[in-house]
Amino acid sequence: MSWLSRAKPGTQGTLLGSTAGLLYVLFIGLPVIALLVRAFQQEDLWSAVTGDLALTALRLSIVTSVVSIAVVVVGGTPFAYLLARSDHWAARLVDSLVELPIVLPPVVAGVAMLMAFGRSGIIGGWLESSGIDISFTTTAVIFAQIFVAAPFYVRSARLGFQSVARDYEDVSQTLGVSPLLTFWRITIPLAAPALITGLGLSWARALSEFGATMMFAGNLMGETQTMPLAIMTAMETSRGLDSALALSALLLVVSVIALVALAFASRRRWSGRL
Amino acid sequence: MSAQRGTSGWLHCRLGAFELRLDWDLEPGSTLVLFGPSGSGKTTALRSMAGLLRPLAGRVDIGGRPVFDSASGVWVPAHRRQIGYLTQQYHLFPHLTLAKNIAYGLDARQGGNPGQRVEELLDAFRLRGLEDRYPWELSGGQQQRVALARALATQPRLLLLDEPFAALDAGLRRTLRQELRTTLSRSPIPVILVTHDREEALILGDEVQVMEDGNVVARGAPLEVLGQPGQASVANLVGIENLFRMTVDSRHPRDGTMRLSGIGAQAGLTLETPIDESPPSTTERQLVTVGIRASDIILASQEPVGSSARNRVLGTVARIEPRPPGFTVELDCGVPLLCHVTGASLDEMSIREGQQLWAVFKASSCFLVEDSTGSTQQESE
Repeated sequence: MSWLSRAKPGTQGTLLGSTAGLLYVLFIGLPVIALLVRAFQQEDLWSAVTGDLALTALRLSIVTSVVSIAVVVVGGTPFAYLLARSDHWAARLVDSLVELPIVLPPVVAGVAMLMAFGRSGIIGGWLESSGIDISFTTTAVIFAQIFVAAPFYVRSARLGFQSVARDYEDVSQTLGVSPLLTFWRITIPLAAPALITGLGLSWARALSEFGATMMFAGNLMGETQTMPLAIMTAMETSRGLDSALALSALLLVVSVIALVALAFASRRRWSGRL
Repeated sequence: MSAQRGTSGWLHCRLGAFELRLDWDLEPGSTLVLFGPSGSGKTTALRSMAGLLRPLAGRVDIGGRPVFDSASGVWVPAHRRQIGYLTQQYHLFPHLTLAKNIAYGLDARQGGNPGQRVEELLDAFRLRGLEDRYPWELSGGQQQRVALARALATQPRLLLLDEPFAALDAGLRRTLRQELRTTLSRSPIPVILVTHDREEALILGDEVQVMEDGNVVARGAPLEVLGQPGQASVANLVGIENLFRMTVDSRHPRDGTMRLSGIGAQAGLTLETPIDESPPSTTERQLVTVGIRASDIILASQEPVGSSARNRVLGTVARIEPRPPGFTVELDCGVPLLCHVTGASLDEMSIREGQQLWAVFKASSCFLVEDSTGSTQQESE
């Protein structure tokens, strides 16, 4: 760990830092551990986890979040590259607005999407007359996830692309490789750690999406009821807490596995050597 | 077919308020040095030739084929110009091994045998055994060789080198300069090299163009332009250590020399220099600027007798500064006179501050610097 060998802060600073760090770890760690402990204390954990409610919601969550992230990556990658390289005023303006959905309360995002794509929305009526229905469908779930999750990927990807010196691309071109192929062979691999990190953050956000989905897609089992919505629904039933616990533990485990895998995937031997 | 042709063209670039004007005509196998301080537009010139920047106007011919011509609207993109381009930091691709870096451009082309070409280059650039290393596992010198091998792998028709030694330390620089010279002299590819190092320009260049603020201020053979530069601005750029403003006392056309003396407080200093070729009509106290390179001055602890050197100046050692691999001795002769000596000389003569020494140099080591502005900048100092 290289940060230990750097210049040491004063004793007081160390003490303050360690105390705050310990409190932070406890603050985050305790609820997570408590969740797992309680969940595993349940006798019928397995049946709850493999129950219809849980598996249907998990399948929907995974399918929708994967589709959302695929859309985000396909569209967000060239977009982030443009933001990273362009000095045009329009690009600068868009760049400052990209993160709007991060600061926007998800519920507001849901209402906003209803106003756009809902039946009484600005283009929703026109869509409906063309036979396209978005609100309260699985498509709406994906729309909501893209809306809230895309900024995390675009932001990380833009920073990643900015860290790749243009000279690498220039040299590649003088070696006879076209700009498009250069992007694929040089820029993407060199920005890969940031792209993967952004992918992880974005996917986690899509998976945990609740407010906008609730507003724009509703809570229909098998169609729009993702894991977070299922957890809330379970809480409202009779032995609610037990089901909610089981679902929460399941979502937690799936998320942790995915994030650890991504962290490993984003490691590069040449990190920090660009 | 086209490797036997050189390169020629002219460029006019504008970047904000900065303007660059340049023209060149280069034989195959020869090296043009663009010499100048940072900000003089050298890198911009290279990038324009490579097609990485679009000039306002101009024409670039490579291997007898126009790759850019503003008059007829020709524009060949960088990846089709067949140019080798070495950046200052080499920019070896960090995610690829040494061998894959060299093979990078070969993979992009159809046909041929990339594997065999890489093998040839590994041998030619003494990189055998390092194939699987990553760029950061290589020394600075090895990185430079890989960058050069990568650039030459695709058999470019023009090689552009941007400060190829800037990333290396002084000792390595010397060795690699010779190495690069050998490599370049064996290849028929015309080379345009950018540097602000005078020695680099002298050793590697067949022709030099001195650039300042986007303009070429002098051009010609490296020794003529950089050895005894005729213009004050060029003399400053190439770092002539000693520049004196003096008045002409007398001319001796028979010897081809003239005698000068210092101005004001420096009146005690007299020098014998080559005569100016076109003396002005008014010979009254004419002002000239004289340049002497620090490396052209010999130091002696006693006044040399029976020497052919026309200039002998007594002074006191004011300062001694290391200038690897030797030292710079500042001699106070009424004016400060900078001389380069080796460490061995410094030890043998046990030179120390306050010591009296003779500075000895030939009349022909002094050269007249044409003061293009006619200003009196030396006097005001």
